[in-house]
Amino acid sequence: MLIVDDEEDLAKTIAERLEIRGIQTQTASDGEQALTLVKTNPPDVVVLDLMMPGIGGLGILKQIKLFDKKIPIILLTGYGSKERSIEGMNLGAFDYVLKPCNLDDLIGKIQEAAKTKLQY
Amino acid sequence: MNEKEIQFIGKITAGVTHEVNNVLASIREISGLMTDILSITDEKSFPRKEKFQTSLEKIQNQVQRGVKLTCQLNKFSHLSDTNKTDVDLNEIIEHLIFLTERFARIKNITLQNRPLTQSITITSDPFLLQMSLSNGISYLLNRMGNGGEISICPEKKGSECSVSISCIGERIDKSLIFKDASSSEELLSLNSIMHSLNGVYELDELNAAIIIKISSKN
Repeated sequence: MLIVDDEEDLAKTIAERLEIRGIQTQTASDGEQALTLVKTNPPDVVVLDLMMPGIGGLGILKQIKLFDKKIPIILLTGYGSKERSIEGMNLGAFDYVLKPCNLDDLIGKIQEAAKTKLQY
Repeated sequence: MNEKEIQFIGKITAGVTHEVNNVLASIREISGLMTDILSITDEKSFPRKEKFQTSLEKIQNQVQRGVKLTCQLNKFSHLSDTNKTDVDLNEIIEHLIFLTERFARIKNITLQNRPLTQSITITSDPFLLQMSLSNGISYLLNRMGNGGEISICPEKKGSECSVSISCIGERIDKSLIFKDASSSEELLSLNSIMHSLNGVYELDELNAAIIIKISSKN
């Protein structure tokens, strides 16, 4: 799977914790890096921060969906981002979780999302 | 302060709470990673492992506390986004109590919300509404001695809503609560806010209560 967050420490730490639990994880800190990884090594699931610099989380979401609409995307949202989360859901996001999230809850969503990809 | 200035403060505060939230999220994950590593480390190769585990738990509890505080502060910063919207009175009171209970705790006073079972939605300015209630609470806190309770009870009669803020406690001298009340800074400010909200406030000397009255359709 792939975690996209400009907070590099946060993304890498979540990735390490997921690796300990047997989930292979890559990280990207911007949209460009994320799209390169999606195209070269398509992940089963993407966890994407909504508040990203540049084209923003929603911009990255649109581009991933343009490349492969089957890749499920879970949005990481902050306070007051409910409207943008809903917009993300309308653009095809699988679900959204509030930051900071409980790791077990996130893993639950990742597993659910991965199942939907298999059903495509 | 004018509307633009209030909105500026709200915007800056909202931005900072987002950043603080990211910091808390990072601390939470880093301490979580340390817990994960500890759990797969042999007891013999890690002296004082238990002490480390309990310390990490304490860090995580403090992070939770920080998350709750920044969440409420963020909510507060968004009160100034609009000067007219539908607000749930019970929710506004609950939120205000969370933000102001520290001032009460210093004086051993508890703030008690006595919400109605049904929700009371009114169309009002959420920032000014919360400020009016805060002024009422501050006034009573400054007049009460050490200890006691401030009870906040919303009520709805037809299109009129009221919130009664009263002090309760055996050691409270009710006759002194409203002495020279009209010249107090809190009530002068409350008067001006009530004017902007098209509401009024009344003093109930018998029950040592400030009653804020506001129309549900402002």
